Amino acid sequence: MGLRDAFQRVSQSPTNPHAAAAPRTFDVADLYRGPVSPADEQSAAPATPLDEKLRQAYFWIVNTAIISPHYDVEFNQGPPQSFVLGDVKSRLTLPSAQSYSSYVLLPLLTFATRRKCLFVGGPGRGKTASAILMGVLSGASVRDVRRAMQHGHPQMTVADLLGNPLPADLVSAQRIEDIRISWRSWLGMRVKIIDEYNRIPTRTQSALLTVMGDNYAEILNHIYECPDSAWFLTANDEQGGGTYQVIEALRDRIDVIVQALAFNPRFLSELLVRIEQSVRPEEVVPRQIIFTEAEVDRLQGEIHGVPLPPEVRRRLEFFASQFEFFEGAAEQFEYKTKDTARLAGVEWAGLTAQDTGRDRLKDLGCQTRNGLSVRVLMTLLVYAKALAYFRGNRIVELDDVRQILPFVLRDKLVPDSDAPFFDAPGNAKYRVDRVGWLRQMFDLSCAEYDRLNLDAEDPVAALAAEFRQGLDGVSRTDARARLVKIERLIAEWSKGRKLYGNLYDDLLSLKYMHQRYTNYLRWLETQ
Amino acid sequence: MSAAVSPTLSAVLRAERHQLNERFAAARVRHPDLDAEAFAGFIRGAVDPLVGAVARTRFERVADVTLAAYDIALELIGQKLVGRSARTPHVGGAWRRILPEVAPLIAAAPERMITAVCNASHHLSSTTGARPGAWIELMARLGGQCTDSSMFLTLGQVAAWRAGMAHFRESAIAAADKLPEPLVLAAIEAPKARWAEVRDRLRSDPWYDPAAPNETSATARVVARVGAFRGFGGFFIEPPTAAMADGQIIVGSGGEWWLLSADAFGATFHRATREEFDRGRAASGLPEGISVRGATAMVRGCSVSLPDAFGEVTSACASRTTLALTSAHTHAVLLVALPVA
Repeated sequence: MGLRDAFQRVSQSPTNPHAAAAPRTFDVADLYRGPVSPADEQSAAPATPLDEKLRQAYFWIVNTAIISPHYDVEFNQGPPQSFVLGDVKSRLTLPSAQSYSSYVLLPLLTFATRRKCLFVGGPGRGKTASAILMGVLSGASVRDVRRAMQHGHPQMTVADLLGNPLPADLVSAQRIEDIRISWRSWLGMRVKIIDEYNRIPTRTQSALLTVMGDNYAEILNHIYECPDSAWFLTANDEQGGGTYQVIEALRDRIDVIVQALAFNPRFLSELLVRIEQSVRPEEVVPRQIIFTEAEVDRLQGEIHGVPLPPEVRRRLEFFASQFEFFEGAAEQFEYKTKDTARLAGVEWAGLTAQDTGRDRLKDLGCQTRNGLSVRVLMTLLVYAKALAYFRGNRIVELDDVRQILPFVLRDKLVPDSDAPFFDAPGNAKYRVDRVGWLRQMFDLSCAEYDRLNLDAEDPVAALAAEFRQGLDGVSRTDARARLVKIERLIAEWSKGRKLYGNLYDDLLSLKYMHQRYTNYLRWLETQ
Repeated sequence: MSAAVSPTLSAVLRAERHQLNERFAAARVRHPDLDAEAFAGFIRGAVDPLVGAVARTRFERVADVTLAAYDIALELIGQKLVGRSARTPHVGGAWRRILPEVAPLIAAAPERMITAVCNASHHLSSTTGARPGAWIELMARLGGQCTDSSMFLTLGQVAAWRAGMAHFRESAIAAADKLPEPLVLAAIEAPKARWAEVRDRLRSDPWYDPAAPNETSATARVVARVGAFRGFGGFFIEPPTAAMADGQIIVGSGGEWWLLSADAFGATFHRATREEFDRGRAASGLPEGISVRGATAMVRGCSVSLPDAFGEVTSACASRTTLALTSAHTHAVLLVALPVA
């Protein structure tokens, strides 16, 4: 076993043991499994389940490749140990279940779901190295990954990014279709890496947007269809403060943002070993954790198949409904949204000053300048499923949503730093700490959900369940009765109750059902 | 190191010096606290005799055996499974006692054989209720009769069951069919019996011991008292209770649950779930002909003689062959062999 082998050891299965299901069988062949593994065992081993392989990849990266001893994605089984330190009462929690480093976990989930991840953080913190590792996990050689990596720079042209028409064809071609294009090889990679994307000029960013958003490239009417791929971008500043401002549409295409945390000097010895042994982790990725294209296809399918139970979905719905509503934005009910205000281009502070009646400290909607888009919600669902899958769970748990949510919404939910919440004692830190801010908002939302006892008393859910059974066979009397039920509920809510985001969405749902029943009733009457 | 070992081993160490030093450095990366002195001691005390034994049978295989043994020894020292800081004496014991006895097999497949012996001895030593010493003695005694490594490994599986790994019972009986009859009978210490008959009885009665065939199986009798208080090396922090789920005994104690596998050769516990235990409790009810009242158990009209001071039975469950009883006075589970129909 050579030095390279020492860096190629993969964690033994199971990496996240769960309680065994009964009845079980014991195989005497297991007698010879143990702490010593013969060199040929892994090649002869039966195929590892993909979630296990993903965890093995995670543990290989954290144990061998990326020194990131930060367990910021915390899970608990039973109460964790918690300590308060320092004058400002900093809390340190020791999780009681397997927890993870977001800096490794999020890129891996991005790789598995073929989405887009942005690494942010100061220079020299391993952002590019991590992206290269993801490229190597897809089976490409380190050399190919490095060559295919796009380095953003102020002179980068669309041709630099996508490719060039062949010069000879430019001279001789009679029709534009006759001009052949030499496409850049990175367009065909299964893992695409854009280093320092905030240094790319705005025009080239637009070309990049087409590739990222629609998965094709276009030059002179010629189209290159890219394969499904995971994207990794790096930036020293997530706010777009590079050489060029990052266009909003491009930023919106990024699914998760993960921050490279500071290096802990206690782990300097591990850097020393790399220097002394001349080992670069990306060059010694064990083949057991390399994923073929078919495996990533299967991974994606299995992740999408992880069910998200209704009780978790309802809490997510409740959380999402807090943000878009903006009472003063319009006269018509449907347009009372922050998007209406944004599109009007009116000064934000002036609009929020008109907002009256609600408790602006308690209302989560007052903390943001926007709501959640469909794209963001879909991303959140996919990553919550991916995290549950990664943990070896059969269904998505509330903790999966809670832990993944800040990384998805980090750049998507824009805080209103003038909101009273941020001036409250102890909350000033949330102006800086997006992850903490988003997580506490989700916690507050869940607490409000519990206070309203929505798991047990949710009249809109009951009406919606009844509606989802379909209109076939619903009699005129029943349809009328349902309309009355809806009207009574709205009438009850209108009695002195303040309008919050969740109520607003519920009212819109009721209006939707009311309209459907009205149309149905009209149709019945014409029969 | 080379001065204190045999000339045969010394020659290989010299010839492969560069490669072996690199392997040592690689092991240091994996195990930063690798004890070089303990490693040298293990090379002298365990690897050298093995290499010597191989040299006496197939000298041309000495270099391959040395390299395989060297790598595995590094891993064992690194994981503190052998040497002066070893967590168990049995892995080193198995190496010293068994491997030199089967030198021709080691010469043929060094990595496979050494790994198997080390892993198996570790498996036994980390299984509460198993008897690794008995396995080592049996393998040292009978291993030499094996003609190839596959036969040796199958013998090891049967011997593991014989040494208390009761959960391997069914697959070990199936594996035993592959061994020559004299060898399997020697492993279960029934040299004068016929394997086909012994196997049938073993399959029908887990409390049949071929080494003591005269033990009666016509009446219910206490055959084992298994499990103990955690402070004394057992699993239970409070007196356990037992339930039967899916034909298996599930034991609960202090918010933890265990599956109990037991037969005439031993008993082992394996993690179970509350759901299994609850399922067993929900379905509990003793089979017809078995009853428990106070401190008395009755099987088919006959009273079972329970140990003194066992006390009032707190839970009872039974399979076709075994009645499990617990009491508030003990952290052990009492097992009663039921008469085989």
